Amino acid sequence: MNSTNDMLDGIMSVIGQFDFSQVKERLFSLTIEKSRLISLLELLRQSGFSHLSLITGIDRIAEEKFEVAYTLFSWQSGVTVMTSVFTDRIDPVLPTIMEVWPVARFYERDVHEFFGIVFDGNPDLRPLILENWDGIPPMRKDFDSLKYSKEHFPDREYRADFLAEGSDGDE
Amino acid sequence: MEMSKEVKLFLGPNHPGMHGNASVHMYVEGDTVIKSRMVPGFLHRGFEKLMEQRTWMQNLALIPRICVPEPDINEMVYAMAIETLTGTQVPERAHWIRMLILELARLASHLMAMGGIGGATGLYTMPHWTLADRDLVLDIFEKITGARIYHMYIVPGGVRKDLPEGVEEDISKLLDYIESRKDEYENLLLKNRIIRTRTKGLAVLDREEAMRLGITGVALRATGIPYDLRKVDPYARYESVVFDIPTATEGDAFARFTLKYYEVAQTIRIIRQVLEKLPKGPVNTRVSSGSALRWEIPAGSVYSHVESSRGEYGYFVVSSGGDRPYRINVRGASFPQGLYGVEKLLPGNRIEDVALWLATMDFCPPEIDR
Repeated sequence: MNSTNDMLDGIMSVIGQFDFSQVKERLFSLTIEKSRLISLLELLRQSGFSHLSLITGIDRIAEEKFEVAYTLFSWQSGVTVMTSVFTDRIDPVLPTIMEVWPVARFYERDVHEFFGIVFDGNPDLRPLILENWDGIPPMRKDFDSLKYSKEHFPDREYRADFLAEGSDGDE
Repeated sequence: MEMSKEVKLFLGPNHPGMHGNASVHMYVEGDTVIKSRMVPGFLHRGFEKLMEQRTWMQNLALIPRICVPEPDINEMVYAMAIETLTGTQVPERAHWIRMLILELARLASHLMAMGGIGGATGLYTMPHWTLADRDLVLDIFEKITGARIYHMYIVPGGVRKDLPEGVEEDISKLLDYIESRKDEYENLLLKNRIIRTRTKGLAVLDREEAMRLGITGVALRATGIPYDLRKVDPYARYESVVFDIPTATEGDAFARFTLKYYEVAQTIRIIRQVLEKLPKGPVNTRVSSGSALRWEIPAGSVYSHVESSRGEYGYFVVSSGGDRPYRINVRGASFPQGLYGVEKLLPGNRIEDVALWLATMDFCPPEIDR
């Protein structure tokens, strides 16, 4: 168990540099500045958080901000760190972290598609999941899914032969 | 004009060698894939948006539907996240029952994945056998939870209901039966000449690459590192049971699915210990003083993850203090290999091996599309 404690001490000395809070035993959350994003993530990666679990977009509409959370995991100590960075809601741009974790390319593409956040330096921000999407990015809080659905898939008038549709020419 | 030697081929979204509805676009030269790209989205059902529009408790009916072969992991990570945010204590017995459910789910999922090899190699005895055996696991699920596929059994605060009387015996019999199939499975899967020839040395993944790509689960363990969240970041009561993490060093397709086979034995070992040690007591705590549908969760962000049969499966849950989630993000285990792996690692393989590549890399489109 000693080595685990040593590892935790090591991790605390790294995390301690940031504005952090402990959510539970092996889960920490910290907020970092946008301008130092890449250098701090690189530092965390070198301190053992070698695994990028997830990049999450969160629309903080009340504060006029987007939060992007990078969830990192250390396989050696079992500690997870949720690293948050904030950006303006209007014209949101963040640097890409593809250099640190190449797989970030796809997580960023996903966040771009659903929140409209641009990741500067990511060459591939094409739509990933949605097809022919013409609304605002759908995971934003001001996107009204019911309204969009009513506009794009209008109600059809009921007809008595509704179910027979498609069976034309069967007989 | 010179004729291009490149031909564009589509694998999926509907194809016997494809695992679920996703499409791989490949450029092939002769028999070799030179460029490939995953096109997901056929199964996008907007779960994350839907979850924001339902109350915390209503979501229990929604979340298992994200992943069909192994729905219980969704319930587990969701419950774990809510328990962390609210500080809910889970009764001891519930922890053990959760472990039982998760391991039964792993058993069902591994059996299904082992059958998947059959589809890709054309040896259809395997899927027939494993899916029939998986059905017996589903019978147990039906007895415990009332449902075969989507159980909605693990809830915040514990599990929905105590185990029915006598189910321990049924589970014991099932485990005996699956163990009695060992020789037959080994003959069919591990000693099979065709499978060995086709998968040995195929799609080799080295350790550095796997780590850089964020690949987890069997594909990572096949490169020689025993990284399993049940050991590294234990949840439920995994620290109180004894089990091994099978690893291999080859990193090829054969190593990956053999590990799955060996994990089945470990899963059986865990279930037997759970049955033996299962404590008595309540199975859930009352989570809300009024109607649970109006339950409000304190504000905060939390990430919870478990080891699914395919690797790390997690939820990033954000609450703003209301009766609905503010944001939930699903981390599917097959996201890295499904998207990045197909672009980076699939080229260089032959067309006939693409289905095998996908089958052994553990690839489940509903997790990517959500």
